[in-house]
Amino acid sequence: MRAAWRRAGRARLPRGEGPWAWLAAASISLSLLLLALLLALLATRGLGHFWPGDVTQLTLTDGRAIAGRAVKQAPLPEGGMERLYRTDNRDLDGDIWSWVPVADIEAEDRPRDLVVLERRRWGRFVGRLVAWLPAAGERREGEAAWQGLQARLATLERRREAITRLRDTTLLPLARRLEAGSDPQAARALTEARARIRVLREAMEGGTLVLESAEGRRLRLPAEEVLRARRPNAMGIGAKLAAWGDGVWRFLSEGPRAGNVEGGVWPAIFGTVLMVMLMSLAVTPFGVLAAVYLNEVAHQGRLTRLVRIGVRNLAGVPSIVYGVFGLGVFVYGLGGSIDRWFFEASLPSPTFGTGGLLWASLTLALLTLPVVIVATEEGLARIPERQREGALALGATRLEMLTRVVLPMATPAMLTGMILAVARAAGEVAPLMLVGVAKLAPQVPVDGEFPFLHLERKFMHLGYHLFDTAFHSSDVQAALPVVYATALLLVLVILVLNLTAIFLRHHLRSRHGGLSRC
Amino acid sequence: MPEASSSPLLRRRLRHGRDRLATALITAGGIGVIAAVMAIGVFLAVEVLPLFWSAGADEPAVDIASLWGPQDYPGLAEPAYRWQPTLPEGDPGPRFNLAPLAWGTLEAAAWSLVIAVPLALGAAAHSALFMSRRLRGYLKPALELMEALPGVVVGFLAGLVLAPWLERHLGLGLTLLWLMPLGVVLGGALWSRLPGTARRRLPMGWAALWLVPWLILLWALAGWLAPLLEAWWFGGDLRGWVTATLGLDYASRNAIIIGMAMGFAVMPTIYALAEDALSGVPGRLAEGALALGATRWQALWRVVLPAAAPGVFSAVMIGAGRAVGETMIVLIASGNTALFNANPLDGLRSMAASIAIELPEAAPGGSHYRLLLLAALLLFLFTFLVNTLAEVVRARLRRRYRRLGDSA
Repeated sequence: MRAAWRRAGRARLPRGEGPWAWLAAASISLSLLLLALLLALLATRGLGHFWPGDVTQLTLTDGRAIAGRAVKQAPLPEGGMERLYRTDNRDLDGDIWSWVPVADIEAEDRPRDLVVLERRRWGRFVGRLVAWLPAAGERREGEAAWQGLQARLATLERRREAITRLRDTTLLPLARRLEAGSDPQAARALTEARARIRVLREAMEGGTLVLESAEGRRLRLPAEEVLRARRPNAMGIGAKLAAWGDGVWRFLSEGPRAGNVEGGVWPAIFGTVLMVMLMSLAVTPFGVLAAVYLNEVAHQGRLTRLVRIGVRNLAGVPSIVYGVFGLGVFVYGLGGSIDRWFFEASLPSPTFGTGGLLWASLTLALLTLPVVIVATEEGLARIPERQREGALALGATRLEMLTRVVLPMATPAMLTGMILAVARAAGEVAPLMLVGVAKLAPQVPVDGEFPFLHLERKFMHLGYHLFDTAFHSSDVQAALPVVYATALLLVLVILVLNLTAIFLRHHLRSRHGGLSRC
Repeated sequence: MPEASSSPLLRRRLRHGRDRLATALITAGGIGVIAAVMAIGVFLAVEVLPLFWSAGADEPAVDIASLWGPQDYPGLAEPAYRWQPTLPEGDPGPRFNLAPLAWGTLEAAAWSLVIAVPLALGAAAHSALFMSRRLRGYLKPALELMEALPGVVVGFLAGLVLAPWLERHLGLGLTLLWLMPLGVVLGGALWSRLPGTARRRLPMGWAALWLVPWLILLWALAGWLAPLLEAWWFGGDLRGWVTATLGLDYASRNAIIIGMAMGFAVMPTIYALAEDALSGVPGRLAEGALALGATRWQALWRVVLPAAAPGVFSAVMIGAGRAVGETMIVLIASGNTALFNANPLDGLRSMAASIAIELPEAAPGGSHYRLLLLAALLLFLFTFLVNTLAEVVRARLRRRYRRLGDSA
């Protein structure tokens, strides 16, 4: 004790670093915590949406019965809690939500015979399957009804696919040929294909479900209205996993339904990828050209330094300003002129004089140009001067020195720049709102019709899809699952791209670190 | 002529000719690309200028006073600041006053800096001087990834998750605001009372990681404490108290929400630049201070920070530039009401969000269109100037480091 006192008295050094050091450490912990929270929230909500969770049936104290999934809980002003259930059945109840005070719940159970139907209209149905009335044959009830329905749904699914295939591979090309000029053979084939589709359509009719909601209201539903039927409470963990995988796949591969709040995001993925590819085609050569000029050709003086600072600063200019530039110069300026020169027949409805794929790609190319220039220049500056001198001393011209020595060595830097540009472009939404993104594009920009790639068409984009679904849908609560899943997808894409860029840059550093040592 | 083309002289001429041609092409292309990028400012200026001398017959006159000063509008009792480009049927013409938009932009940026700057500078200081090298190798890229999170995702989470949550848990938010720093300082004090072995197991260099559970614990404590405190001080309803006693409107999507979301988005930018500046200070300066008996924090505060101050300043400037121009977060999470008041719990509308919403509907060449372009020009000039300033400061700082490094 005395020794400790003496030691403390002799050396007046503080024992710790003081409060500020701890606050500094906590600020980094807090950022990490928030980042982890954000990612965890996106991952659980985004992936959880596809999980076929159990459906609860409630009996309330006033005798009513409700079936649905609990979504959230909130305190009541007069004390106690109330719970929000997604009960679906919009056609029966007029609403898909129902707030239930927790105190009013008398009994909760999960009967195995509750079915969840995904329908073409009116959204989902939750309730019981009372009977299955096939087109030919007798009424079936209970487990037999369920099996009859499943078998029927499988055939319906096959026919739906057959119709889609017929329409895409036979009907649409024929119709296009007819549009181009009259062709009796095509006309005959078209009639034939139409007839086949009609036959398939007719074969899809027939078969009726008799359904009963938890409240006891009956409903008859034609079988072709039903897309999928599940009994979540009766499914084992394996079946649920399979259903989950199926849901994820459908989300990635299908188009949106019901005002974008249901279905998948395939057109948005396609639009984003296509736009980003076009953009990188435009930005990489020009960015590399400018970087080579700045670093290898231009006289390294005051002016070059100023230009370099200017280019670097353009990376900090808000993206919306580039959007304004794209709208003013590309859409109204260039697009308007193209319309006047080449598409006068269709004026006043604009062809290129409105937002579209081409203008969006060019705008984003301009936006990401500084990124590519800066990254490439960094790579070029990292190449030791003696490499260039060596090439020149061996008699190479400047062009040969550039193409044989400098550019191959700077390839990882260019790739890094390109990937960073792609990552930035994939997440930008604000400029696209001005130059050509659409809430729901009726036609995909790529199809079988000449010239195959339609640069003037509007396209869908993941980020804008997210914004629009979250903000302009009539029922935000119903849209939330799709929004979370889209956000997760977008974040994953961007994280992967950025990680690739980081990895490449690391690889580049270690390689050139080795070079400059030897 | 096979013999001629294989003659060495001609081949050399050909090679050099090709070289000269390629150099000329590269020069032309490079200058062209750079000119194209720089054309943005010129385009905006050219499009905006007609606004001031040739207003159309049915367009309201536009001048400096009508853009920035309070205006007498028919139907309003006293001069006011209004941005109402489209009014419902039967009302007199549109009202163009940029002041509410500029105010909204600056307010959003200011709140986000209030949140981002302390966080980012604290994080930079810790990772430059205290953190273990290995941990820093992992955490720095992780925080840089945070920078890449798209604004639309952050905005969606702020508008649809954070805003309703904060509205319901205002008391918890307020409790966290004072409990977190206090708890962390308390944790530091506890740490220095720990026996040596325990302290070696929880080294300062890894504090960023092992403080996370402590923060979660503090959060839980705040969750328990908040209802008690709210009942004690504010009669159990902080939101009602704010409206009744302070007389402030509470909008669910307000400037504070924007500040939090955009602070989160801007923080990694400031962090990365400030960390570069701090860790770029020649090591022997800090080592000298440590050898003279200073703690690491004293070395940071008295030696490293003054040396790196311009770099830190430029980091904050670049963060401010980003905050001013961020569109999607403000668009989603602000409510987009063009207000001109200082209440941080009310909504706002920024210039960038206005451009994004209104420009597709504005007729090209009209007053509204040109005014939105003017807003874009202002954003461009502001960010360009701020970034140039930051860049110049950083260049000067780099020279200073070189001098400091050489003089030893």
